[in-house]
Amino acid sequence: MGQPARPARAATPPEPARQQLSLLPAAPALAPTPRPPEARPASSARVPREHWMAIELPHLALEALARAEPDPERLQRPLLVVESGAIPRVHAANRAARRAGARPGMALGDALAVLDTPELVEHDPDALRTQLEMLAGVLLRFSDHVHPEPEVHRILVEVGRSRRLFGGLEALRQQAQDTLAGLGFHPRIGLGRSPAAARLLAHLRNPAIAEDPETLRRLLTPVPLEALPLAATTREGLRAVGLRQLGDLLRLSRPELARRHGPELLDLLDRLLARRAETLPRFTPPPVLDLSLRLEHEIHATTALAFPLKRLLRQAEAQLRGLNRSLQGMTLELTHREARTRLTLERGQPGMRADEWLPLWQTRLERETLPEAVIGLRLRASRLLDPPDRGDSLLAGDPASTPPADQLPAVLARLRARLGEPAVTRLVNRRTPRPEEAQGSRHDLAVTPAPVAPTPGQRTVGAALWLQGPDPATPPDQPQWLGRLEDGWWDHGQDARRDYARALDRQGRRLWLYRCLRSGQWYRQGYWG
Amino acid sequence: MGALDTLLDHPALWRGRSATPAPDAPVWPSGHAELDRALGGGWPRGQLVELLGAPFGSGETRLLVPMLTACGQDDYWIAVIAPPATPWLPGWQTLGIPPERVLLIRTEHDRDTLWAGEQCLRDPAFGVLLAWLRRPVETALLRRLRLAASESRACAVLYRPPDAAAQPSPAHQRLRWQAAAAGLELHCLKGAGHWARSGQPLWIPEAPEA
Repeated sequence: MGQPARPARAATPPEPARQQLSLLPAAPALAPTPRPPEARPASSARVPREHWMAIELPHLALEALARAEPDPERLQRPLLVVESGAIPRVHAANRAARRAGARPGMALGDALAVLDTPELVEHDPDALRTQLEMLAGVLLRFSDHVHPEPEVHRILVEVGRSRRLFGGLEALRQQAQDTLAGLGFHPRIGLGRSPAAARLLAHLRNPAIAEDPETLRRLLTPVPLEALPLAATTREGLRAVGLRQLGDLLRLSRPELARRHGPELLDLLDRLLARRAETLPRFTPPPVLDLSLRLEHEIHATTALAFPLKRLLRQAEAQLRGLNRSLQGMTLELTHREARTRLTLERGQPGMRADEWLPLWQTRLERETLPEAVIGLRLRASRLLDPPDRGDSLLAGDPASTPPADQLPAVLARLRARLGEPAVTRLVNRRTPRPEEAQGSRHDLAVTPAPVAPTPGQRTVGAALWLQGPDPATPPDQPQWLGRLEDGWWDHGQDARRDYARALDRQGRRLWLYRCLRSGQWYRQGYWG
Repeated sequence: MGALDTLLDHPALWRGRSATPAPDAPVWPSGHAELDRALGGGWPRGQLVELLGAPFGSGETRLLVPMLTACGQDDYWIAVIAPPATPWLPGWQTLGIPPERVLLIRTEHDRDTLWAGEQCLRDPAFGVLLAWLRRPVETALLRRLRLAASESRACAVLYRPPDAAAQPSPAHQRLRWQAAAAGLELHCLKGAGHWARSGQPLWIPEAPEA
């Protein structure tokens, strides 16, 4: 599975170097075009004030579907997301369906009348909520104050304090847009001095940015009243007295408005003009990684899993960047109709980049034969680590540098992915006397075992190099005695008393032998050399 | 032949293509002065060395103990791929090889052994690679391993059965070993130095502490 071409900006995080540069006053030299007003030094010298970015995802349901769909052809055909209920309704319709006349909110029966056998997918509000929270986690990289509004598929991000870091509001909006586009989402973004203004501008697809109250007022004046989130009765009442635009409202006296149309209207106006603060709770992401993807089509071959897996890994990377965490191992659960297959992957060094994890998973999946068709994927990691220093990857590429003492070779993950986890091990000393039982394989390579010195018993049996057996052997001609091992004398019938020796056999092998004192029988324990 | 070698070893004679490795080429000590000289300083790092011989256990691993000790003490990893027996690490530790630096990789096919070897050589963490082949293998695979070795800082040692000597190999050096009285006899089948041309076997006595 090759990497399909993707836009250069997609999903790649802002380079730290660029962030640094944009903090410098020399930044305009990089972008000679006239900067929007907020980049003026005069305004940036001010105390950063709250500024909100409202991110509306009007096509969340469809885009969430498209993420799991490996076959783009299928998305060209009419597709409806259906809300079940007494009368099933269309929740979302793709472009082909809309062209044919289907509209969100329409009864399903009406939509079916205009469409020729559309694909129907059930609306799943819980999945969309999870999806939106995932995106909120991703947006944490732009601000620490993120507030998802799942009912309306919208996320609010406070960017007043981070705008300078990202090179101004315009650049910040572009980065947010690119980040989401890289994950397959196409948002409408509005920026405003209050959450309400940002929501309104996002809804109106108005890209203007108002920095001061006067501009905001001018910006909002031509907005039709239908666009405001008002109760139907209020809206009717306003229309009845001949008010059409927001500007008309702003010209009227406040006490009069409150008296006629209720205090909610005034409250909304105040929130729109940032005259009244609106407190939004902060979103805190779960400290674990748990992403799932439901496949609309069954997948029968492991190679076909690469596409949805790549989506998941990108999503994981974005989320980890938002959390500023990294990980060393993760579990992939393949959901079948009846059962599930669980696969784990452990790497030598922590990392979050999807480009690094994907080839590992691909190698790992190549070994796997699917018992049944896969209908879903779930990616989990319970242990998130601090991100590695950025310098590490530079050093690792230089073969002249001495290896870092505490780090595992990066190659381990690749070896395990192809050869299987039990094939790649470190041996640990269990400190039991009998050599054939004294060594255990250690598969959990992430933890370096504490160095264990050989026990005195292990020293007496000699510094042989290779262990095998024990197998019965013929008595050697000239044994060179090494030492005596006594074990299990407390355990009746299990005791072992052995005299160890090394000897040369006729083929020239240097054998490591012992004689059992109970039976007098010789055994080969391994090779000396 | 002897006269030519004397001439070629004369310090006043400069040859366009240096027959012996440059004196500063990285090596791991072999622990044996004569062998160091014959190998051009020690076991070469960044080279693929084949050791041909049988049977397993005749002292051909003990031959490399000084190199393994030096490698482990420099915090490099040692990859042990597809050995015919299990390493007895308390023994290795007694000889000065840190056991936590030994990575044991088991494979089912020689093809996987060579693949794993190549992967390890591409990782800068490894200083020594020991791999065992059971059967004849395609030269193309060995060439990949040679390439990976020459781009690494590790000494890649490939143990092969003695009949592999009949097959040409892209390895930098090929040595045939044979058990001899209280030691090991080494023949150089292929190499860049004086030793390969002389055709003389080298007798390496077993280390006294062993």
